[in-house]
Amino acid sequence: MTTEITQLTVEELASLMKKAAGVTVDPHDLASRADAPFADFGLDSLGLLGIVGELENRYGRPLPTDAERCKSPRAFLDLVNGALTTGA
Amino acid sequence: MSESGIRPRHTAVTGIGVVAPNGQHTETYWKSVKEGASVLDRITREGCEHLPLRVAGEVRGFDPSALIEETFLVQTDRFTHYALAAADAALQDAGLSSSAADSPYSVGVVTAAGSGGGEFGQRELQKLWGQGSRFVGPYQSIAWFYAASTGQISIRKGFKGPCGVVASDEAGGLDAVALAAQAVRRGTDVIVVGAAEAPLAPYSAVCQLGYRELSTVEDPARAYRPFTSAACGFVPAEGGAVLIVEDLGRAQRRGAAVRATVAGHAATFTGASRWDRSREGLAQAIKGALDEAGCAPEEVDVVFADAMGVPEADRAEALALADALGPHGTRVPVTAPKAGIGRSYCGAPLLDIAAAVLAMEHGQIPPTPGVFDVCHDIDLVTSTARPAELRTALILSRGLMGSNSALVLRRGPGSAA
Repeated sequence: MTTEITQLTVEELASLMKKAAGVTVDPHDLASRADAPFADFGLDSLGLLGIVGELENRYGRPLPTDAERCKSPRAFLDLVNGALTTGA
Repeated sequence: MSESGIRPRHTAVTGIGVVAPNGQHTETYWKSVKEGASVLDRITREGCEHLPLRVAGEVRGFDPSALIEETFLVQTDRFTHYALAAADAALQDAGLSSSAADSPYSVGVVTAAGSGGGEFGQRELQKLWGQGSRFVGPYQSIAWFYAASTGQISIRKGFKGPCGVVASDEAGGLDAVALAAQAVRRGTDVIVVGAAEAPLAPYSAVCQLGYRELSTVEDPARAYRPFTSAACGFVPAEGGAVLIVEDLGRAQRRGAAVRATVAGHAATFTGASRWDRSREGLAQAIKGALDEAGCAPEEVDVVFADAMGVPEADRAEALALADALGPHGTRVPVTAPKAGIGRSYCGAPLLDIAAAVLAMEHGQIPPTPGVFDVCHDIDLVTSTARPAELRTALILSRGLMGSNSALVLRRGPGSAA
């Protein structure tokens, strides 16, 4: 049943950071420093909130309330993908 | 002026940055102002073409992406883009672009705003009603807000000193400079102070349609003619200016060119659109500013008028000058460069300050564009710039909601004499 779930990739997160917050980041850099704080990439809390809103609209359902409080790309990807899998 | 004992009475202006309809650099702005050129034109902004507001002063050819990082652009309105660009130019002019101060806490930011981020706000509100609340971006919470430019300038440059926002009507542009001077007197080294507005988006334009002072004349050459019998209201504009003000002693110690000093200011309130009452309010503001500056009426060498372009308001301003300055009120040269630029609300008095500093430096009083038949008892400079030895300038501003302010500037000791 998880086969039809689209997982959020690092590449998609990078493009969302650009779209929602104007942050230009190389996906490889994002992947290799996935535990670094979002702030190190130039993404502020409102920027992350915008990404959460974008994803919620895309998936047509709410993400966990903790999503916008994630500190790092890895924590965010894990939480979002975990929610997508279990919520299917 | 003394280095010891009491703090210096005057605050130095050491930097100017301009983003105006008639110039996006201080030099081009001054050249246009000095020549008395008018850049008023039909509104071209998308969604504004059908509105009864036909003529405005647009800032054209401004490319924010060439000047400001994308992370700031996505979360800011056009009015903040102008402010950020003008702040950069002012800091560079003051020689403070790389390191503004010894400590980030010694630099503050003050801006005035009267229009806010209408274009950004409209876009997000259209998402709200067109798609739903989940489609409104989080930056709507800050981008439209009057405080946005102060916040973004301070964040972008890392300035952590006293910050403020003045929302006191159009004349708030002068009040902001007074607030900045006060912060400097209280011990802050440097204040980045200014105002820039962007009221030419559809929502913002519609908000202005209710002002009975707004000119709806279609001909750009006739739309804004203050102090004439053909006065038919004012024309709005975009843009503004940012100044760097700092302690006079500090400026001199670091070898900065002191372009002018802020000598005095006062503000009064006489009620929305009560132009007859603004006579007394403006006169009191002038007297208060002169008193604070220790300046006799005869010392005022030039007046940058508010020039609302509404007959009763123009009359009140001419009479206020006579009330406050006595016989000198009908003799002192008066000018209103904004007749060729339009009124960018809080940005307008900042552009007048910039013009006044430049006029004192160049010894030239710029003319009032498009005005030839003055019907009030003032010496309005028209047609061409008038050479004059200028040591003291009086800048006046009134707002549609009833605020009246006056600011006295003295020529800087570092200026060409």
